[in-house]
Amino acid sequence: MNQFLSFVIKESRHILRDRRTMLILFGMPIVLMLLFGFAITNDVKNVRTVVVTSQMDGLTSQAVARLAASEYFDITATAASAGEAEALIRRQKADMAVVFAADFASKRSGLQFIVDASDPNMAQQWTAYATQTLLGGQAQTANLKMLYNPQMKSAYNFVPAIMGMLLMLICAMMTSISIVREKERGTMEVLLVSPVRPLMIIVAKAVPYLALALGILVCILLMARCVLGVPLAGGIGWIFAVSGLYILLALSLGLLISDIASSQLMALLLSAMVLLMPIVMLSGMLFPIESMPVVLQWVSAVVPPRYYIEAMRKLMIMGVGIGDVLKEVAVLAGMTALLLTVALLKFNNRLE
Amino acid sequence: MNAIEVDNVSKSYGKTGTSASGTKALDGVCFSVGKGEMFGLIGPDGAGKTSMFRILCTLLLPDEGSASVDGFDIVRQTKEIRRRVGYMPGKFSLYQDLTVQENLEFFATLFGTSLAEGYDSIKAIYSQIERFKGRKAGALSGGMKQKLALCCALIHSPSVLFLDEPTTGVDPVSRKEFWDMLALLKERGITIVVSTPYLDEVRRCHRVAFLDHGRIRGIDKPEIILSRFADIFNPPGISHGRKEAAEDENVIEVEHLVKAFGTFRAVDDITFSVKRGEIFGFLGANGAGKTTAMHMLTGLNQPTGGTGKVAGFDIQTQHEELKKHIGYMSQKFSLYEDLTVAENISLFAGIYGMRKTDIGRKMKEVLKRLNFEEHRDDLVASLPLGWKQKLAFSVAIFHEPRVVFLDEPTGGVDPATRRQFWELIYDAAARGITVFVTTHYMDEAEYCDRISIMVDGKIRALGTPDELKRSFRQPDMDHVFTHLARQATRSSD
Amino acid sequence: MIIKHLIRKEFLQIRRNAFLPRLILVFPVVIMCVMPWVMNQEVRNVRVCVVDSDRSVLSQRMVHDIEQSDYFIFTGQMPTYRAALKEIERSRTDIVLSIPPHYSRDLALGLRPQVLIAANAVNGTKGSIGSSYLSQIVGSAASAMPTAAVSTLFLYNKHLGYKVFMIPALLAIVMMLMCGFLPALNIVGEKECGTIEQINVTPVAKWQFILAKLVPYWIIGLFVVTVCLVLAWAVYGIVCQGPVLLVYLLAMLLALFFSSLGLLVSNYSDTMQQAILVMWFFVVCLLLLSGIFTPTRSMPDWSYMTTYVNPMHYFIDAIRTVFVRGGDLQSIGHQVLALAGFDVVMCSWAIVSYRKNS
Repeated sequence: MNQFLSFVIKESRHILRDRRTMLILFGMPIVLMLLFGFAITNDVKNVRTVVVTSQMDGLTSQAVARLAASEYFDITATAASAGEAEALIRRQKADMAVVFAADFASKRSGLQFIVDASDPNMAQQWTAYATQTLLGGQAQTANLKMLYNPQMKSAYNFVPAIMGMLLMLICAMMTSISIVREKERGTMEVLLVSPVRPLMIIVAKAVPYLALALGILVCILLMARCVLGVPLAGGIGWIFAVSGLYILLALSLGLLISDIASSQLMALLLSAMVLLMPIVMLSGMLFPIESMPVVLQWVSAVVPPRYYIEAMRKLMIMGVGIGDVLKEVAVLAGMTALLLTVALLKFNNRLE
Repeated sequence: MNAIEVDNVSKSYGKTGTSASGTKALDGVCFSVGKGEMFGLIGPDGAGKTSMFRILCTLLLPDEGSASVDGFDIVRQTKEIRRRVGYMPGKFSLYQDLTVQENLEFFATLFGTSLAEGYDSIKAIYSQIERFKGRKAGALSGGMKQKLALCCALIHSPSVLFLDEPTTGVDPVSRKEFWDMLALLKERGITIVVSTPYLDEVRRCHRVAFLDHGRIRGIDKPEIILSRFADIFNPPGISHGRKEAAEDENVIEVEHLVKAFGTFRAVDDITFSVKRGEIFGFLGANGAGKTTAMHMLTGLNQPTGGTGKVAGFDIQTQHEELKKHIGYMSQKFSLYEDLTVAENISLFAGIYGMRKTDIGRKMKEVLKRLNFEEHRDDLVASLPLGWKQKLAFSVAIFHEPRVVFLDEPTGGVDPATRRQFWELIYDAAARGITVFVTTHYMDEAEYCDRISIMVDGKIRALGTPDELKRSFRQPDMDHVFTHLARQATRSSD
Repeated sequence: MIIKHLIRKEFLQIRRNAFLPRLILVFPVVIMCVMPWVMNQEVRNVRVCVVDSDRSVLSQRMVHDIEQSDYFIFTGQMPTYRAALKEIERSRTDIVLSIPPHYSRDLALGLRPQVLIAANAVNGTKGSIGSSYLSQIVGSAASAMPTAAVSTLFLYNKHLGYKVFMIPALLAIVMMLMCGFLPALNIVGEKECGTIEQINVTPVAKWQFILAKLVPYWIIGLFVVTVCLVLAWAVYGIVCQGPVLLVYLLAMLLALFFSSLGLLVSNYSDTMQQAILVMWFFVVCLLLLSGIFTPTRSMPDWSYMTTYVNPMHYFIDAIRTVFVRGGDLQSIGHQVLALAGFDVVMCSWAIVSYRKNS
């Protein structure tokens, strides 16, 4: 027990001494939360619009005024012809053009949008908003109700994703590097020859990172609740329990990487490029899984954060009970058991 | 019952490594070590010593044969052995970001004891570094680290202790203290297996086994082995036609040089000069300030005070110009391990602006002199340590610099290779290259034209080896050094 | 030529490394072949379940229209709205369409009844786009009246394909990883194994040493750009609309920036772990604030201000102009100047911060 404690203390010192790494580890979640919470949005806002009209009659100027009054559009120029407007868009001076035909007033038709569609999603939203603004007032046939996220904040979607990514990064990458470093420096030889059991070395290495990960988890949840106003609808207890399971999984993955990698560089590259990239891309944190081709959907089925993020979205945002995320939890538990077994079996308590 | 039985152990490294065919590290090794014996394992680089240690510590599995430690089989009873042995690997490294005391405490707890309990057994060496116990291990000098590593290895009392070249890079005084500590352990009935390149240390063993190319060539009392293989261990001294009056030109001139880190004066007002073609030995205990002084002379560090000129260039203002005219070989091997021999040579020659045709011609010469022709395209990582050191030296003087600085160039190298190394140094000196060298081998000190001995950042003695022996009334350099170093009051840099 | 020897050394070291050459070859290919499929924010395959309390011909037609649509997957009917919400909680469906009793009768009477569309808006984009599609379908089913004659001309990307938007972004990401992270690890590696000390006592000038470290990564960068362009054409049939040379110019400017950033970070770091974390931190911030995924103009003012000092923003803007919109040098003039400015600053900083003598 004494040995175990001194191991944990040693490992914590390694972490605490490296100020810069600590700063990043705690700064990263805060900055990411702020960025995703405030800066990164898909809202339609400040769209630079060119109005093309040959004659400014009453109805046209009314429509233009409506456009200008809305918070979505900034009218930056008026052009005489569609060609001129297109040139403005090509030169990146405008995002879209609204072309009023000469007979706009009489027929209430002859309206054309010319949109820079290099970002297709935004282009569609712009036209939808512009149509609404110009021709609004039609009878509503549907009553829309946005469940769980009435203000459509992107933070609701991203908070669980950030948790999934950061916990994986800290646990898997940091643990694997710290083990590989001992191999590289030759201290592992002494540790192996000492009377301490190899299993204890590993557990003792994992404990401080577990604590660190929980600290960061608390930090993220506090930020989410207090700064971004994301509800923690589900039970806090379950959120921590599922996160605990996920952290364990990440630690096993880190151990597995350290078994395979022979140098710090390789461990870093393995965790950064082979681990982190698929997580970010295939876990559904940024890009919805159901829009992917079927093959990639299968691949994403083995990416652990997918289930964690899914479970967290349900638990935190939708506030469902643990009963509704049993499937995700079961998958995570199964993966943890598998990875841990493989990692421990592969752990070599000799050199070579 | 013997403490260690080794029966016909073989080990070869297959596809790993760069050589195409598997190399045989150990080949049918048999020996036994009695309880409480001090057993030496000696032999040139790459003889298989480290593999032997690793097998006995259960870190490697032998391909063939069997061995037991303290009556336990090394293959099946791993746990029991690991509970009973202590091991200090060759490239033992501490936790750089933990302090001296934290390192010690950690290793003490690791071996199931505590710093207080084990204090007495390491007192002799630990007292030298104790005042730096709050400093991070990464901030200690090379020799200091080794001393701390020794403390970490000795803090517990296992029944068998394995030490793989424990005193590499440690000054003679501390080495004596270390062996005195080993003698104490021996009295407590601990079996010790140790490998070492130092002959005085070999003599302190009860029995030694001479290992060469993975085979045991002989096991016997140290004197017998040393005399039987005298050509390897005790090569005849090098005759060196000492120039009576070296040319008058001073290549290095240093006056009142000071380097301070905060309030600590690592180099404290040193003054000396070195003449062209001279071999100047720069001696001192670990932490006396040698490496710091050398870093200032090579333009790696700015002095805090004083002036210095190397090859006619001011070390404070013209350090980049100066670098064109010097060669440097650092304590830690620092050629590129992932380049081949030829690639390393042409890289550094190119850096010094040599022309391609000159490089090609000269490389042939150098490789021939080193007998390296067939290793021209081998990766440096695959060479044994002694060869690497010879190569590093040849690279350092390849561009015919006016001065070459060598920082403990022969640390951990076996006697025969060291002799070859000194032949290269004499060669260079004869061509007019001034050699500025630090070493912990006192026999090497005798090879120098002039030596200085640094204690606590100051130069305490300066002159030819004979002059020093006479003026301090000591029979040899070893005694001169011990006499001076014992006066040290501080012990780190 | 000292620098020639140093560059040769860097290449030899990259080649000798067991992992790097494979990474350099495989990584861009994998990214280009897989990521465009993944980085797709098109809203598709939204699952809809219907609570039909009307059970009329009209409601049947709505269900039929939903089934026919490409966007939606019809997951079935639910007896009550409450049961349908439970389905959302279990993640079996994304949107519930609830048609009130007597809907079609009320509609015929001109009472303007409303259906209820309840969407899971945890993912806001998906919720809003999905529900607005759905309301369009419902609307067109409910009223035979044609919508006002509005035509839309989508420039540069007629089919609104997401890949056209993402390929220039991928180019940026690959360049960033190849030319940013690898040099960052490089110098720290030399520090850790002590070879940098040997270099420091040689007469190599700072700029020579730094330049020799950078050049190999620029060449790798050029190679990577070529691979990406070829793959974009071969796999997706997407070609650069503007002059290809401009793409190379921009890529080089970006490579220069990221490789200097990498060296800068490694000059200030002691261990690889530190270097990679700091690097990662910067890169994520630069990337997210560059407008690579989301439009910068939607940002609040304070974060929009940061785009002025974000080279990635200039790059993304410029490369989309060239690659997608077919712009020429004139249309990306100020971005090129800005990038070049950043390069000069970063490069000089990297050289100054590397200390041969302390």
